Amino acid sequence: MIVAFLALSIYLLYPTYADRKTSNEIEKQLSFLGDSLRSANPQISDADVNDFLEYKEDSIRVSDPSIKENSEKRVKLGLDLQGGMYLVMEVNTAKLLEKLVKNPDEDFTQMLSEAAEDAKLSDENVVSILAAKIQDSGKRLSRYFGSIRDDDADIISRLEEQEADAVTRAIEIISNRVNQYGVSEPNIQKQGSRRIIVELPGISKEEEAKRLLQGSALLEFKLVKESDFTIPIMNRIDEILAKQIKYIEGDTSSVEDTTAVADMSPEEFARSHPFYSIALINPQSPYADAFVKETDRDKLKSFLNRAEIKNVIPDNVEFLFDAKPYSVQEGVNIFRLYLVNKQPELTGGVIVDAQANIDPQTTAPIVTMEMDSDGAREWARITGSNIDKRCAIILDGAIYSAPTIQGKIPSGRSQISGMEDMNEAKLLEIVLKAGALPAPVDIIEERTVGPSLGQDSIAQGFNSTLLGFFLVAVFMIFYYKKTGVVADLALFFTIIFIMGILAGFHATLTLPGIAGIILTIGMAVDANVLIFERIREELSTGKTAKASIESGYANSYSAIFDSNITTFFTGIILYQFGSGPIQGFALTLMIGIVCSLFSALVVTRLVFDMMAAKGNKINIG
Amino acid sequence: MRLFDDLNIDYLSKRKMTYVISSTLIIISLLSFAFRGIELGIDFKGGTEIALKFQNPVNISEIRTELNSIGLGNIEVKTFGGESGILVRTELQVVPPLVFQRVISAIDNSIEESRPGVQRSIVDSTSNSVTYQFDNPEETDILTEQLFINGFQTAKIDDKTMNVRVGIADWVEEVLRDKLPDNPFVVQKEDHVGPKIGSELKRDSVISVVLALFVIMIYLGFRFKFVFALGAVVALFHDVLITLGLFSLLYGIIPGLNLEISISVVAAFLTLVGYSINDTVVVFDRVRENLKIHKTAKLEDNINRAINKTMRRTIVTSLTTLFVVTILLIFGGDVLRGFAFTLFFGILIGTYSSIFVANPFVYEYSLKTKKKIQF
Repeated sequence: MIVAFLALSIYLLYPTYADRKTSNEIEKQLSFLGDSLRSANPQISDADVNDFLEYKEDSIRVSDPSIKENSEKRVKLGLDLQGGMYLVMEVNTAKLLEKLVKNPDEDFTQMLSEAAEDAKLSDENVVSILAAKIQDSGKRLSRYFGSIRDDDADIISRLEEQEADAVTRAIEIISNRVNQYGVSEPNIQKQGSRRIIVELPGISKEEEAKRLLQGSALLEFKLVKESDFTIPIMNRIDEILAKQIKYIEGDTSSVEDTTAVADMSPEEFARSHPFYSIALINPQSPYADAFVKETDRDKLKSFLNRAEIKNVIPDNVEFLFDAKPYSVQEGVNIFRLYLVNKQPELTGGVIVDAQANIDPQTTAPIVTMEMDSDGAREWARITGSNIDKRCAIILDGAIYSAPTIQGKIPSGRSQISGMEDMNEAKLLEIVLKAGALPAPVDIIEERTVGPSLGQDSIAQGFNSTLLGFFLVAVFMIFYYKKTGVVADLALFFTIIFIMGILAGFHATLTLPGIAGIILTIGMAVDANVLIFERIREELSTGKTAKASIESGYANSYSAIFDSNITTFFTGIILYQFGSGPIQGFALTLMIGIVCSLFSALVVTRLVFDMMAAKGNKINIG
Repeated sequence: MRLFDDLNIDYLSKRKMTYVISSTLIIISLLSFAFRGIELGIDFKGGTEIALKFQNPVNISEIRTELNSIGLGNIEVKTFGGESGILVRTELQVVPPLVFQRVISAIDNSIEESRPGVQRSIVDSTSNSVTYQFDNPEETDILTEQLFINGFQTAKIDDKTMNVRVGIADWVEEVLRDKLPDNPFVVQKEDHVGPKIGSELKRDSVISVVLALFVIMIYLGFRFKFVFALGAVVALFHDVLITLGLFSLLYGIIPGLNLEISISVVAAFLTLVGYSINDTVVVFDRVRENLKIHKTAKLEDNINRAINKTMRRTIVTSLTTLFVVTILLIFGGDVLRGFAFTLFFGILIGTYSSIFVANPFVYEYSLKTKKKIQF
């Protein structure tokens, strides 16, 4: 069993090691490539070199699936170790209420601003404070919210629902933008009822990130171009890219016959058709949507951003991606790339309501959407003149759905169908509402750690761990002699187990987490010390080695058990109390307790039993 | 190696003396709370904190005088991570209105320097940002990039507008860039904590420490007798109070040691509670065992015997833990220093209290109530 655990831990830790190694290698390769590129072509701009290197890095990483697998399975580093930005945001309910109120008067504005002030200092939320204020002033809530027949309790619960909706909406808006911005391994989670925690590793442009998270969402409806318009543009892009790649790589060989696609190897195809090799078109489909792997998305974006490519794309259209993966192939997310009109037909402001539902006839999920009278008039015109075309629903530049217009919609009440499941319908509902109702968020805490501090911390943490282990190990041997070696072995196993478990659960290692490991090194010997001292006592009463081990263990159990359980309790409380780094500490501390108990009760026990069975004399210290 | 073999010390007889020591320490702590107070970090107070690392060593008092005259009131400046690092802290949330104009003109100068004579206008400004508009979309791109390189936090909003952050950090950094032109720095960290978060955290910290004590008391009440649980918690309370007193007493006295209460220090206090209880429980466990075996022996003998028998373990474990905590204190870096300091003294006091507070408490109780404790 011990061997199995050890093997498992090492197995779980291997990806971390491998990932570090390959990252170093890739970096070396890239810097070499960059240098040689610069020396071969001194006029080349930095932007071009970076583009090329990025492209090269992607292709190296994609070429071997194990690289990606390893990087997903490695021990993740917290923001305090790798650098990045940590934000706590809170939905501004007062601003939301301002939008929801009907016929506000001066009293209301006054009460709302008072309620917002009060809420800063109290645990109660703005909704209930405001409700109390309105009631105190002798008015009914229905004066401002809901309809005249509703009673106050109903309105309060509905407003609270709206508040919760706003949080969901804000999370969707933020994740959507963060995904598009291309942050690797972002973490966005809800905290409590109104807060959102956002972790953006490796971000240095704070203001840019903040604007990204705080700005109001833009919902647009844009017509998708048809394939007879799109395909020629894509062909042109492909040709230009092929020429460019030859230029960058300094390839002087004659232009190959690009029509003989069938005979080409994948590499050749990629060279002569750089666009189509990563943006696959289904020739059978009536649509010209290109299917792009997630790993190729950034590369494609950088292609489309090049000045020469921009020249080929007409001014009134643009390429946009799906917001969520369309499908998954061999573990890689596939996104669709659409060509749409730049000018939106309508923007989200016209939407009054959206609701995800089940169609009673087909039991398929549907979303119904309602528009105000101006929007409805426009919508009738648009749908009437574009029947059978697709209209993309776009939030902050990412396409959530592109339903086909089936007929003229005169009333503004539209129904969207074709969703896979209710979750997808619910998502579309959130997105449609995001256009109509804002989800204003305030940043209430912001922490940025630069990469250099993180590097220093890693080095300090690593050195302290080694030094701590060494010091404790030497002391144990000095004090307990041969049995000290057994304790050190157990200590070594403990650390391997801790790291293995951290990797296995994809836990995040933070600086306090490292401190937790170091502390565990000091405290983990405790169980062993208790046992050793007990065995020593038993030996001194004249018992045999075997009997002493037996009773030494038996008599230490209760002390080890009780003392570790109480420490474990404080670990749990610490985990509940803290955020981010502190949770990392609590986690390593708790894992450390479990691992050190296992090592002391199982590993050292086994060694002792083996020693006793061999007839060795047990001599502690 | 054998230390303290066959110890036979009568700890309980010395309890009067340790009562005096403990109460003196507690009184000093309380006096220090009253007169010196406890310094809270920005985690609790809210405010802005920046850590910078310069290329060359800096004169900290020179920087302090510079920064105290830039209109941000009294700014704290400390060393951070060696001679070339500084930590700047203020409780201010946003730049005061008077300074705001000065920051704007600094931004304006930077624009003028990068693109002399560029057409620009300020179209919007909030308490922490300013929005510029340019006639030429190209300028927006160039300036967003260039100002960022110059050290400002910029973001392009659309083709013609650019947002620049006007924060405390920006102003401090701009002043230092200006005053120390040949000693460039990188920003190591920037923290900004709103006032609400701080007050919530204060409440949560107190709740979690009290909750930890409570949970421990319940568990020990079940496993031992209630009086043991009470004794253990009194000892823990004693440890927390004295360590906190040390924080208050030594704040600002030892250079390089930043003794303010931050989240990680609260975590250290909880860990100290965990460690100290561990120690106490091991002794209690032996007392319980002795009480079962030597039913007729006097309580004080059983307690003394338990402490003597576990003394070796107490010392070995305290030592190994002190080793690693000392290493953290010396090599763990500034971020963990307060944490390591708490644990260092916490372990010393925790070990002391297990023997001289928790056990005498149980003994006094049985003397007072004249009850025999049985398991």
